[in-house]
Amino acid sequence: MTSFALAWRTAQRYRARTMLAIAGVAVIGALLFDMLLLSRGLLLSFADLLDSSGFDLRVVSTEGLAARLPIAGSARLAGDIRQIPDVQHVLMIRIEPATARTADGPSRGISLVGSSDTDEHVWRVLQGTDLRSPAAAGERCPALVTRPLAVALALTPGARLTINARPPGVASALPAVVCRVVGIAEFAFAPTDDLTAVTTLEAFGNAIGNAGPTDADLVLVSSRPDAAPGGILRAIAGLRPDLRVYSNEEVVSQFNRNGFAYFRQISLVLSSLTMVFAFLLVATLLTVSINQRLGEIAALRALGIGRTRIASMLLWESALLVGAGGLLALPLGEALALVLDRILRQMPGIPERMHFFVFEPRAVAIHVTLLGVTALAAAVYPIWLTARLPIAETLRREVLG
Amino acid sequence: MVALGSVAIPAVTLAADPPAILVSRQLAARAHLTVGEVVTLAVDADGTRGRQFRVTGIYEPTPDPMRFTADRLEARLHLPDLIDIAADPADPASREAVSAINLKLADGRNSREFAADLMTRAPGVLVRQTARSGEDDPFVVLERFHVAISIVTMIGGTAFLLALMVIRAEERRETVGILRLVGISRRTLLASVAIEGLAVAAMGAAFGIVLAYVSEGLVNRVFQARYDTALVFVRVTPSIAMRSIVVAAPLGILAGIGASWTLLRREVLSIFHR
Repeated sequence: MTSFALAWRTAQRYRARTMLAIAGVAVIGALLFDMLLLSRGLLLSFADLLDSSGFDLRVVSTEGLAARLPIAGSARLAGDIRQIPDVQHVLMIRIEPATARTADGPSRGISLVGSSDTDEHVWRVLQGTDLRSPAAAGERCPALVTRPLAVALALTPGARLTINARPPGVASALPAVVCRVVGIAEFAFAPTDDLTAVTTLEAFGNAIGNAGPTDADLVLVSSRPDAAPGGILRAIAGLRPDLRVYSNEEVVSQFNRNGFAYFRQISLVLSSLTMVFAFLLVATLLTVSINQRLGEIAALRALGIGRTRIASMLLWESALLVGAGGLLALPLGEALALVLDRILRQMPGIPERMHFFVFEPRAVAIHVTLLGVTALAAAVYPIWLTARLPIAETLRREVLG
Repeated sequence: MVALGSVAIPAVTLAADPPAILVSRQLAARAHLTVGEVVTLAVDADGTRGRQFRVTGIYEPTPDPMRFTADRLEARLHLPDLIDIAADPADPASREAVSAINLKLADGRNSREFAADLMTRAPGVLVRQTARSGEDDPFVVLERFHVAISIVTMIGGTAFLLALMVIRAEERRETVGILRLVGISRRTLLASVAIEGLAVAAMGAAFGIVLAYVSEGLVNRVFQARYDTALVFVRVTPSIAMRSIVVAAPLGILAGIGASWTLLRREVLSIFHR
């Protein structure tokens, strides 16, 4: 009989404890799997979100993308960028804090966005029309609003919205501008609770009291699919050496360094803890189980089954417990990830399309490797116990006992 | 008022009597500043509207869980001094501008009404409560996440405890048979395994609490060094310790009874047949 067959028979004979041990490993394994998904989930989701926006490069005037200042001469810059071969599309954006209110309601703090163009990648109109539609063309200040803002101020397409821009550092009270809501839209990067209104760059300039062209604080550039990587970035950097140009990879890497640190750390701590937990519990179960079966193992040894086969049997027992539990952990972990993701996505400021737990084959490979190491490590002490088992003495003690 | 985005450069020429500033520990370490040193603060790296200040103290910034990954490179100075640097000379009204005004109400319970009233009277002004409600507090969400993880861990732990108790019950099959034969009732035996389960679970919980308490300092030190902050990341409070014992105790009792139930409900003689 092979050592696997011996291990299989043991598992069948002690069915209740085997099932319980597998259930325990499955639950702990599910947690481990989830922590592996969490370790890079937000990063993968963020990268996916950036890629899906269709833009490859982001031009800003400051180090980093979090706090931005207007780019002087951005309209001319955008024109120059459009002349670079392989550039497909250029979009200028400016964001400032503002307050918005309807005729009879209280003010709400919003983000006011000025956009040089309409772009279906950045937002999707859910109700009404887009900013450049014929219906909106006659409006001095057409506005698209997010669903949360529409709900908060009871806005529908056609409603009037009074907006006061509050650019930081500007002391004078700017006159309010009255915009007409032309549509309700969903924004790729907007959090679920985001109160945002988007208008044209011209209307935005009126809101912040600009007489001339309004400088954008972010210029988005998309390249043709066959463009040489890095070529456009270098060309823009050559046009304006005072600006910073970020590729999507650099934005993700910056996010990885700053915004994502907490979840990476917590996933590292929790996956290490679950590994130790799984190791301790499987090792304890195997050890207790071996202590109970010392007579049986001594009898097998007396029948001529060698130490190596006994050790191999114990390894198989550990592998069966951890393997079956680890396998069950994958669907269980996926289900648990949905629950945990739903909890974490309640955090304010998280874009609607971002997820904390994202499946990737790499996580499965690490999960299998870690559980394999756990199974191996958990079997070491029981193997050592059986290897130095005195056969005659154990048999006499077990039989007389 | 906190000056952000300013540049600290050791001064070459001294002003007559430089005004005082405090710098954060992190800025002092990064710019190698000491108390008494004179520095120049400016609105940009070119030294626009630069002004000299004397460092009169180094402070530890109030730990902010919302910004614990950020570099706290900060300086605190008197508001008129900051306005001298930051105000735009072309815009006289900018000397009158501040980015925020903090208010303490005589009765904090009226903050919502006060905010609504002020926003109606001064259109364009945004009033926010400093206390976060459950809905927009990220730490309430994080707490829910941690509770969910602890529930999962507890389920896994219970399965293992049950498996261990099953092994213990099988080990004592013959002892239980003999005890039943000498007249000890099922109820007494069930009570004994329940007490055993309770003891194992309580000891496990107590060991876990001691381990958490001992490792608390280490975890905090590692994370505080990693993020250069005085923020406390882990704290074992009496209520958390009590909660873990209260949760573990009934689970231990259930595991003890559940594991022995199949053995105890059988007829005495069948217990001896393997």
